[in-house]
Amino acid sequence: MEEGRNSDEKKTALCGRSLTAASQDGGGRMSAVPLAQGKVEGGKVYSGDGVLGYLEMLEAQAHELGLKQEEKEQQEKKLNRLKAKVQELRTRRDELRAKVELQEKRLLDKEGVVTDPARPSAQTVLEWKVKSIKAMLQVFYLTGISGKLTKQGICFCISTAYEGTYLDSYYVDLLIKPEVKIQRHSVPIFIPLEQIAKKYLQTDIRRFLSVLSDHLNAYVGRRHQADQLEEHFSDRIEGTLQRNSLCNLLVFNYTVSSDSKTFPFNVRLLYRDLCCSLPTEAIISCTPGTLSLLAKVAAAHSNTFRQMALHKAFDSIINAKESQD
Amino acid sequence: MDSSVYQVYEDEIQLLKEEIKLLSEKYEDIKQESTFFSDEEVRMSAKLFQREFLRECKGHTPPLDLKAELESLERDLSFLEKFTGIQITSHSKKTLEKTVNRTVRKHRLSGNCQSLPFCLEFQLLEVQNKEKVSAAISDLSIIVESGLCSELSKFVSSTEERGSLLMFFRSFSSYAEWCKHRRCTFLHFKAKYPNIVILPEGQEGDHIILRNSQLPGFELMIVWKMHINEEGTTTPVLDLLPKVPEQVGEQKKAAIDNAPTCFRSMLLLFGIETAIENLIQAFSLEK
Repeated sequence: MEEGRNSDEKKTALCGRSLTAASQDGGGRMSAVPLAQGKVEGGKVYSGDGVLGYLEMLEAQAHELGLKQEEKEQQEKKLNRLKAKVQELRTRRDELRAKVELQEKRLLDKEGVVTDPARPSAQTVLEWKVKSIKAMLQVFYLTGISGKLTKQGICFCISTAYEGTYLDSYYVDLLIKPEVKIQRHSVPIFIPLEQIAKKYLQTDIRRFLSVLSDHLNAYVGRRHQADQLEEHFSDRIEGTLQRNSLCNLLVFNYTVSSDSKTFPFNVRLLYRDLCCSLPTEAIISCTPGTLSLLAKVAAAHSNTFRQMALHKAFDSIINAKESQD
Repeated sequence: MDSSVYQVYEDEIQLLKEEIKLLSEKYEDIKQESTFFSDEEVRMSAKLFQREFLRECKGHTPPLDLKAELESLERDLSFLEKFTGIQITSHSKKTLEKTVNRTVRKHRLSGNCQSLPFCLEFQLLEVQNKEKVSAAISDLSIIVESGLCSELSKFVSSTEERGSLLMFFRSFSSYAEWCKHRRCTFLHFKAKYPNIVILPEGQEGDHIILRNSQLPGFELMIVWKMHINEEGTTTPVLDLLPKVPEQVGEQKKAAIDNAPTCFRSMLLLFGIETAIENLIQAFSLEK
């Protein structure tokens, strides 16, 4: 019974303590209603039992203070670690900067080869040569045909580009014994790879790759032009640009204005030569009845589409129109 | 203390780490680009490395076999040079700009394509976005032998304008192959008919002259030019230019005037070699 009462009082005393603690942190304000039984003295509420309760309260306070202290110390430690790390990295960064600046200065002074004063190790020399040859192999990538010898043959890489922008590259893995055969490839199915292989692979591998490269570059070029048109002129095109996977048939609509009236034009571009990235036919159709008025314009536009790259042709058509209006 | 205080330091740490990475890559790049070891030094180092490597192999797992890697790369390079006919005699590059996503390098390249020399300079911009690296050429400058046809210089300037490095290589390769074919053909006929065929400009010239000792003053000139259009397609264009002395009769003159047309039809029907062969035979039998 005694204990029970004590524990009850402890509980209330504890509640009182926590409340007190809260109110102390909050600026020493006291709750209006005393929740703990017992005396209130100096802002501290303790049970009627007096000393024991007081001691318990103190213990709890000390414990909390200890926790807070620990937390503060941890935070400070972390902060100090971070500061130290920043300092270390700053120093390393400054050292590197100085090294690079020295390198650049020496290059300007001597204009050419900079030899390491210490005699380079065999490993350093070989590493340099390996990097140097890898760089040359990268240049071959820029020429359009590169590759790597494999155990059973050669794996060729055909790179494609539209003017100065390099686009996708395609792989053809060849076996050379007992006869030349394509083991694996990443050429899309709408490129007539089998036809080209049948014609050239056995007799002239170089010609095979050259013809394949023509097809791939033309396809990628047509696709790039269509992408550029969509990217830069989507607001001038009515609806969307329609295309097939080989990108040799493109259809889209745009408007032509004349005498403050607008006429819808439909363009159908056919690229019959699969190795060419310019259309062989540019068929322009308008709403029936208006063709006679706009025949000249349509013919001019058709010519432009056949002679220039799609996005450049469209750009010139738009700008010509604007200068007329 | 709230986390924003840490965030400031952590952000700076991240930035510094990136900067350090870039600076070390730049240092390595400059070191690579400004060092040079001769083939002899490389050979000696390979031998030394081989010895050290064998010693280390006896113990535990072998370290990266640099010599084997070097040999494999050299085989690949040598194969590509033979296969494509493109030989690179010198290559230097300089890193102009390097950030986390972008690298700009200036390349200087010289070599020959089927023994036709070329010299290039360009800037290569590489941008890393997600997993792909995209590359673009700018400031392309090309030098080829100026003695070659004027169409070649037109092709070269239009290629420079557009930065079409890839197309340059493909087209120049095919142009060079045609030139090689022309050279071989001329030499073949010179060897087969040494008394009739003359190469006034040597094997690199663009024409040959046929002379028959029994027909003084009478000459046939076969001109073989290479046309290269702006798209880079090479087309051989052959023509026949007869030279007749003044005292030739009317009949003969008519036949001779007809010759160029006949020659062109023969070219279309039989191809270059057969057409020239037929022409030389007809000419050598002429009295």
